[in-house]
Amino acid sequence: MASIQISNLNKIYPGPKPVRALDHVDLVVEEGEFLALLGPSGCGKSTLLNILAGFETSTEGVVLFERQTIDKAGPDRGVVFQEAALFPWLTVFDNITFGPRVQGIKRAVYEQAAREMLDLVGLSDFAQSYPSQLSGGMRQRVGIARVLVMKPRALLMDEPFGALDAQTRLTMQELLLDVWQRLKITVVFVTHDIDEAILLADRVCVMSARPARIAQQIAIQLPRPRSIDDLTSPGFIRHKAEIMQVMRAAHSQKHIAAA
Amino acid sequence: MALTRRLRPDGATSSALPGVDSVTRLFSSNRANKIVAAAILPVVVLVVWQLAGPHGSLFGGVLPTPDRVAKAWYTWVFGTNSLGFNPYSGGWLDSVIFSTTRVLQGFAVAVVLGIPTGIMIGWSRLASETIDPLIQLLRPIPITAWLPFSIAVFGISSFGAIFLIALGVFYPVVINTTQGARHVERDLVRAAEMMGAGRFDILWRVVVPASLPAIFTGLRIGLGIGWTAVIVAEMIAVKSGLGYALWDAYYVGRMDVVIADMATIGLMGLLSDQIILVCERYALSWRRVNANR
Ligand SMILES: Nc1ncnc2c1ncn2[C@@H]1O[C@H](COP(=O)(O)OP(=O)(O)O)[C@@H](O)[C@H]1O
Ligand SMILES: [Mg+2]
Repeated sequence: MASIQISNLNKIYPGPKPVRALDHVDLVVEEGEFLALLGPSGCGKSTLLNILAGFETSTEGVVLFERQTIDKAGPDRGVVFQEAALFPWLTVFDNITFGPRVQGIKRAVYEQAAREMLDLVGLSDFAQSYPSQLSGGMRQRVGIARVLVMKPRALLMDEPFGALDAQTRLTMQELLLDVWQRLKITVVFVTHDIDEAILLADRVCVMSARPARIAQQIAIQLPRPRSIDDLTSPGFIRHKAEIMQVMRAAHSQKHIAAA
Repeated sequence: MALTRRLRPDGATSSALPGVDSVTRLFSSNRANKIVAAAILPVVVLVVWQLAGPHGSLFGGVLPTPDRVAKAWYTWVFGTNSLGFNPYSGGWLDSVIFSTTRVLQGFAVAVVLGIPTGIMIGWSRLASETIDPLIQLLRPIPITAWLPFSIAVFGISSFGAIFLIALGVFYPVVINTTQGARHVERDLVRAAEMMGAGRFDILWRVVVPASLPAIFTGLRIGLGIGWTAVIVAEMIAVKSGLGYALWDAYYVGRMDVVIADMATIGLMGLLSDQIILVCERYALSWRRVNANR
């Protein structure tokens, strides 16, 4: 069953110089699928994700989540932000339980789930720490835990590891692979990192430069469960070569069109 | 555990003997150096001032030397409030209490009105377009210009003083709160929406805490203005308090009391600022948790 269905989606940011960010985007994300949106920065990836999240409205087109029109943000679509966007005045535990608390769920109900999520992301010892006491990677783990605790139907992640150093990024990718393997939840993952897209996703959508279109979709054949060891496997390298070629083609087409 | 962390955000372990701990810290750390450094200039000024007036006063008897000020101050504080000729024997504490109470009352009114108003202006476009222009229109009128208005409306009474103080405190509180509420990080609001927070939850659990640093800036500036306002008001619109005593002492030629009064006002201002700083440090402890790392 399709989790997300997008057809003929256009987005123009109004203003004195209107910006066309999305150009006739069509996309279907299957339930339980891990989809990566790959494209150069500024091409419109965040715009697409923000429309799915309900933060932005579309200019034209149909966007369905589980057959319903998306009109606002909600706990069924957990968003993980690039800079984590934790509440700095709340402890890790209070950040993770923010969702359940504003939804009026009783502490007895969510407390156990929150502890399990803390455990899952390896932060049980930091429940009472404040975000300013955590490293970037730890903050992002909290960002993941606080949406998982709401049992969302889909995860929307916008370059969540983009600001981390290479070592931490690998650790986080492995953590995410592990979490996804357990929960098998729909994920839309935005990145500009080819390796990251191939390693994590079932399918990679390569986006062209602005205004973004989906230039090509590539199914990633690497077996699951995966780990960062796959980064050097022959299958991985083949996919990487293929995607680089697609990206180059998408880019040069733009230049020809612009000339 | 959460509480201990809050109280000791630096994570330092306290000694088994707290008294010993604080004494050692006072003398060993650079805190002692800081106190000495801060005291140098005031001491120099006092000594020069004292030596400049060998007969107990300067400028032909206008300005009393520090020892005479200290004596007058002592009498004003500890003297018995008899029917003697010196009206400044005792009564200091009463004046301090009168003024402080007015500052607190005016401050409270301004805070209760100013913080919600600022949050609304910063958060809602409607409030910003309707309320903000009025505030910007009235703000350039200095509180001193409101004095005749205040006396006409409230008469010679505490209410007039409280009105002026509240007005003076209101502006910086409302303006700083507005700034804070206007510049809440967009992703924090989006995160809250995504987690199912309604409009009220976003205001109360996101906008207000995110604005707290700016609010405290407003409170500190406001309290300073509150002390200015109470002195002005008491000099003209009320017949008690430090401002009244200041003007009265001047009229009867008691410059020693005038200066003791000024020093009292300065100390009260300093003290109230320190109290706000302590509250701020407590309320914003999350900001400093790794400051000592
Ligand atoms: N709120 C906005 N108003 C106007 N233009 C915007 C806005 N948000 C993004 N844009 C523009 O839309 C384009 C796509 O942005 P974005 O979706 O953030 O790209 P990406 O996430 O791929 O880097 C960029 O040119 C950006 O400047
Ligand atoms: Mg982006």
